[in-house]
Amino acid sequence: MSNTQKVPVTILTGFLGSGKTTLLNRILSEEHGKKIAVIENEYGEVGIDQGLVINADEEVFEMSNGCICCTVRGDLIRVLGNLMKRRDKFDYVLVETTGLADPGPVAQTFFMDDEIREEFSLDGIVTLVDAAHIEQQLGRSDESSEQVAFADVLVLNKTDLVSDESLDNLESRLRDMNRMARVIRSKQADVSIDTVLNLSAFDLDQVLQRRPTFLEPEYPFEWTGVFSLEKGRYELTLEEGPDPTMSLVQLLDQGKNETALNTGAESCVRLYAEQEQLMNPGDLVPVGKHVSLQLQSEGTKSFFIDVDKARDIGLFTQHTAEEFNMKLTKVNTPSTDEIDNDQNISTISPIAERVWVAEHEHDDEVGSFAIEREGDVDPEKLNRWLSRLLSEKGVDIFRTKGFISYAGESRRIVFQGVHMLFTAQPDKEWGNEPRRNQLVFIGRNLDKAEMSKEFDKCLV
Amino acid sequence: MSGIEAFSPKGMLHEGWSAQVDDYAIVCGWALQGKTFLVGDVAGGLSAFEGKSGKLIWQSKDIHKGGLLAMSIHPDGNTFATAGQDGHVCIWESKEGKSTKNLELGKGWVEHIKWSQDGKFLAVVFTKYVYVFDENGQEHWRSEEHPSTVSAISWSNSNELATACYGQVTFFDVVNDNINQKLEWRGSLVSMVLSPNGDIVACGSQDNSVHFWRRSTDQDSEMTGYPGKPSHLAFDQTGTVLATGGSDRVTVWSFQGDGPEGTVPGELILHTEPISCLAFSHSGMLLASGARDGSVFSWFLQKDGQGDPVGGAFAGDLVSQIAWHPDDTALAAINANGGITVWEFKVRTKTPAQGFG
Repeated sequence: MSNTQKVPVTILTGFLGSGKTTLLNRILSEEHGKKIAVIENEYGEVGIDQGLVINADEEVFEMSNGCICCTVRGDLIRVLGNLMKRRDKFDYVLVETTGLADPGPVAQTFFMDDEIREEFSLDGIVTLVDAAHIEQQLGRSDESSEQVAFADVLVLNKTDLVSDESLDNLESRLRDMNRMARVIRSKQADVSIDTVLNLSAFDLDQVLQRRPTFLEPEYPFEWTGVFSLEKGRYELTLEEGPDPTMSLVQLLDQGKNETALNTGAESCVRLYAEQEQLMNPGDLVPVGKHVSLQLQSEGTKSFFIDVDKARDIGLFTQHTAEEFNMKLTKVNTPSTDEIDNDQNISTISPIAERVWVAEHEHDDEVGSFAIEREGDVDPEKLNRWLSRLLSEKGVDIFRTKGFISYAGESRRIVFQGVHMLFTAQPDKEWGNEPRRNQLVFIGRNLDKAEMSKEFDKCLV
Repeated sequence: MSGIEAFSPKGMLHEGWSAQVDDYAIVCGWALQGKTFLVGDVAGGLSAFEGKSGKLIWQSKDIHKGGLLAMSIHPDGNTFATAGQDGHVCIWESKEGKSTKNLELGKGWVEHIKWSQDGKFLAVVFTKYVYVFDENGQEHWRSEEHPSTVSAISWSNSNELATACYGQVTFFDVVNDNINQKLEWRGSLVSMVLSPNGDIVACGSQDNSVHFWRRSTDQDSEMTGYPGKPSHLAFDQTGTVLATGGSDRVTVWSFQGDGPEGTVPGELILHTEPISCLAFSHSGMLLASGARDGSVFSWFLQKDGQGDPVGGAFAGDLVSQIAWHPDDTALAAINANGGITVWEFKVRTKTPAQGFG
């Protein structure tokens, strides 16, 4: 009898020249013990030398009802339909698509076609990005934005052709567009195979395990350091960095555990929203105020912090300390030991550090956001809202993922969708875990405030 | 998996013989007036069995690199053609399994081949093109490029070939190189069958419907509500009823009177999983159906589409194809596990028995 294990399928997408063929050849030549079938678009960049390779035209088939979620890839249905008759010949499938292909119909094929759904499971979508050219493409074509939006893994390839600074900027732009995806950098598609195969990207638990912070709120600051200080004066020094100014807030009695850091972060968000005070080198940093350190001058800049008694202080900074080589040292008064005056200037290490997901200004139409709420939702209200949302905006919502706490249901409900297609199923028991809801939406011109408000109405 | 217990043949199906090939059996058919039963498997194995006893007559391996996809037996039964993922079409003589011709079409799959009713032409689908070869393997005609991969072909008469692809069915006069008719409908057509007189064209669609056209009146209709894709369709020899898959029951539309529009179809309910093949007998209103659960049933149908089971058997695994013996005295089924089963079908008198015998 046929076995019930579904064959996993990875979709590999990216523009011509992004390095898909290089990656495919690497995967096929590596000793991973898998028998892989490759379905390659007809215009494959260069030949693929090994494994079972089948060429297919990218045939996108719409249905007479005009519903975009019924749009499938006819060629995949045909080819996979034949492949499933040869189960002993392979145990993994890679589907390569051209940069111009809409990833929607490819993914939908695995949800919409009964026979395919029964035999294959969509494991994940990997998008290769040519670091040197993606910026122009994002500005010019919807397809490239959509390929970024659909991805579970973004491979930022050809990084050797681009400066580190541009790469950082590019990565943060891509993250804005898609917060779910894992970003990997590579020179010649030299990524380890397990970053692109067996992702179980459509299994939310796995995603959360790998990236527990993918639903973190965004903060206007990137770094927090907690310092345990005695009474006295301290010097904060900064070297050349990526910005001529940097915002900072100093909080007193900042705890170092996770809860205390989150509480501090929340209060800093409010402080960051206030008008900043400009601080020139040599100035004293006030407590609980949004200040903007002026760093335009050359060389090392110093600012001062006075501590009235032994206590822990928290510094919440717009950039990471590393970026400016920021150091905190105690300023010795003449009364202290003069024996090793010079060596005594030792940098104080923070007792706790935290890097936050930073908020970026961006003007890409494609973006992603998360809604995270504690408590239970009313299943009927949620269904009504989601059905309406997906039928009205489904065209612009590329992917949805998350989990929900239904009132009266002892198990978590995990769900995910591609455009208007939506599957939800009960998952593990909540047990003693606090009941909460997390939803991530990736799409075009989504109204986060409106959608969050609508979701809140579904809470019990 | 299978929701059905193995059982002995019942009713008009009686123990015949069984055999086994190496891989998923994908195509089959009777050759040499029913003296030989041919089976092809996905790996490219080809086997010929003695029709009565099941004794292996000859066997070839790896006849199409990459895999075998299609087979069509010439109406006279003396030769047959196979096609595969290597882009080749092979013509064989049936007696000893000698290859007599090899046609190379290019890099791509050849998924559909069909001899015309008079045996003069062999139609071959190669991606978005259709070729017609004569009996000597000479190219006689070639279609223009279709808008997408051709998904089904059928001869409406000895000179006219119907092709289906996404969005359209096209009728080509392959002798005069004309397009006789084009029927358009926005949908992915996955299967096609013509009524014996060529007037009715029925297509199963990816959106779980059956669409059909009457060529003489230009009327077309859509039958929706199938839970799955109707990938399997069959007309009886008189063109009165159309049997369709698309679920675990056989839905039968009757073209009597003004039907099937506005009528309720007959439903044949015994299989526990979706239908995977359908075939009408060469004479009379006998339908055989196979399903993913490995069950095979034969049904006696009335003109209104209602029907009664007259035999049942278990073929062991997903039934990939089913074929009536040329004189309807036997029924053969092949399955996804390479299993072959041939049952004797109780010889019928003029008035077919009804119910279990």
